[in-house]
Amino acid sequence: MNETDARAVYQKALKAHRFRERAALAAVHVGLVFYVLLSVYPLLRIFSVSLRPGDRIISTDLSLIPAGASFLSYMKVLHETNFLFWLWNSLIITCATSAIGVSLAAAAAYAFSRFRFPGHKTGLTLLLGNEMIPAAMLLLPLFLMIMKLGLINTYLGMIIAYSVTSLPFSIWILKGYYDTIPKSLEEAALVDGTTRFGAFIRIILPLSTPALAIAFLFNFTQAWNEYLVARVVLTDARMYTWTLGLFELQGQYLTQWGMFAAASILVTIPVLGVFLYSSKWLISGLTLGGVKG
Amino acid sequence: MTALLGSIIEVARFVAVIFFAIALLEAYLYVHFHLYDRRWFLPACVLAAAAAGLGAARLWAPDRFFELGLAAAMVETALAFGFIRLRGRYALAYMMLAPAILGLTLLIIYPLCFEVYLSFHDLKLTTIMQWSRTGALPFVGIKHFVKVFTSSPLSEVSFWQLFLRTIWWTFINVFFHVTGGFALALLLNHKIKLKGIYRTFLIIPWAMPQVVAVLAMRGEFHSQYGFINITIQRAIDWLPLLGKAGLHPIQWLTQHPFLTCSVINIWLGIPFMMVVILGGLQYGASAFQQFRMITLPLIKPVLAPAVTLGTVWTFNNINVIYLVTGQAGGTEDADIMVSALYKASFSFYRYSYSAAFAIVIFFILFAFAMAWLKWTRGTESVYERD
Repeated sequence: MNETDARAVYQKALKAHRFRERAALAAVHVGLVFYVLLSVYPLLRIFSVSLRPGDRIISTDLSLIPAGASFLSYMKVLHETNFLFWLWNSLIITCATSAIGVSLAAAAAYAFSRFRFPGHKTGLTLLLGNEMIPAAMLLLPLFLMIMKLGLINTYLGMIIAYSVTSLPFSIWILKGYYDTIPKSLEEAALVDGTTRFGAFIRIILPLSTPALAIAFLFNFTQAWNEYLVARVVLTDARMYTWTLGLFELQGQYLTQWGMFAAASILVTIPVLGVFLYSSKWLISGLTLGGVKG
Repeated sequence: MTALLGSIIEVARFVAVIFFAIALLEAYLYVHFHLYDRRWFLPACVLAAAAAGLGAARLWAPDRFFELGLAAAMVETALAFGFIRLRGRYALAYMMLAPAILGLTLLIIYPLCFEVYLSFHDLKLTTIMQWSRTGALPFVGIKHFVKVFTSSPLSEVSFWQLFLRTIWWTFINVFFHVTGGFALALLLNHKIKLKGIYRTFLIIPWAMPQVVAVLAMRGEFHSQYGFINITIQRAIDWLPLLGKAGLHPIQWLTQHPFLTCSVINIWLGIPFMMVVILGGLQYGASAFQQFRMITLPLIKPVLAPAVTLGTVWTFNNINVIYLVTGQAGGTEDADIMVSALYKASFSFYRYSYSAAFAIVIFFILFAFAMAWLKWTRGTESVYERD
């Protein structure tokens, strides 16, 4: 075989290889686009339903922007339902829960990260094991306790029911983060005359802002999106959180479908924005807690 | 406006009360950790606890005056000996843990103990008034545990059906979560354009509030106005032959509720697995041989905890099933154990029965977890990780 032949064969093989590579890449794009459509479609459809004009809310129309699109459903959900009350209830319950949860977790995680006290390992295992307890199992006695204390239909009952649900997970995330902060920083502060607790407040906490934000966000989304506990504790429509309200709107399927869609879009967009913005950190927190376990 | 202000004040006051309670707890710990070596420490503790117990009894339970005082003194004696043994070591650690421990004790451990108590007593709608007045309940032994295995938690479906369905539900969901997540992660792992945008869109089912996502998907399964049946109907209109071949719109929610719930839950769970797997993947490995020899071992440390977590979540998932089938007159054909438990507690108000059922479910999950841990430890020793 002479040189030109070899070169021709090589060129041909290269061409075939490039073609195959390009075809593979195209297939990858096709697969991804297909699944992206599958992921996004329900949200898009809700959006299109929310834009439908009043007389055509129920139809088998599949177009994204319906004919005669209007914001009527948005107006109706804001004016004719308790939607704003529901949002407010959710907000206040969620903020109080997250504040309590994160402050408890921040302190407890420091103890787990820096001290080897008796019960250290048992404590961590129990925190992880807590993940296994079915929510419905805890809910029954909690509900009865809340009822006996007369806290049905109150913010306090909801805050009590929510406050520790995310605690074990937050402790794990924060402990994992504290573990990465070198001990020498605190030791330097101790030499300079602060107490151990002072070092925690002035050095560890400021350095852990990203992890604290993750923990806060985790607590926040858990409580914000919760449905099952709220359904049991809240029975008065004025006290509903938005998840209960939404389910109620959807319950009367055919008549209020447009309002349900508009309300869904209104709550989804901020949540989606915050989640996507913070997803990188949230995920690293998740895997950190998981892998270290 | 006043309502809004009122609610803020109410919640702020409550949070203040909680922080005040925490301050009291810390003061208690501080005193005990620093004065443990005084000669008067033990007698002072016992006396103070007895006084506090008597005072509390005077306020809230006058009929148990001396019992409460005695109990407080005894508990405090035991605690004081603990503090003396610790000799002030780990003071900061325990003081920082104390609020969390107190919260977990009051809201997880105490409810679990209460649940055990409930399961041996009889609390239902007819006895609940008496219970909330007097706090006393008739003791019924293991009656409820027997009933868990012999009668239906709802109206038709039996315990064993639920048990098998739960296993099946957990298996197919986790299976498709992992394979779907793997497939997407492998696709995303190529060096392609628009990768970030694809990734963002693919996360959306996970990022959306779950209630919205499930209810939106439920709408797509509606027999008349859902996307799936509209598409089927249009396909038939377009090509009548398909209709003759047996294709027709399907009553998803009433006739195939389990399938519907599974599809929705799989759709919801894939993004999480995708993200986890993507985090563990390295560039370049794509051929099958490479996949088996390189990618899988690489991914295993990330995948194993995610699968464990995913299994527990799926086993305990009430949300999807309840939101799809939970309304009055809903079907029982999609229920798994935990959703049946939720409905038995809060739609059928069978409290004591549900407590027994919950304990049975807990032990089943516990047994599975132990077996799983043993198995993964076994495989791990092959690799000699860590």
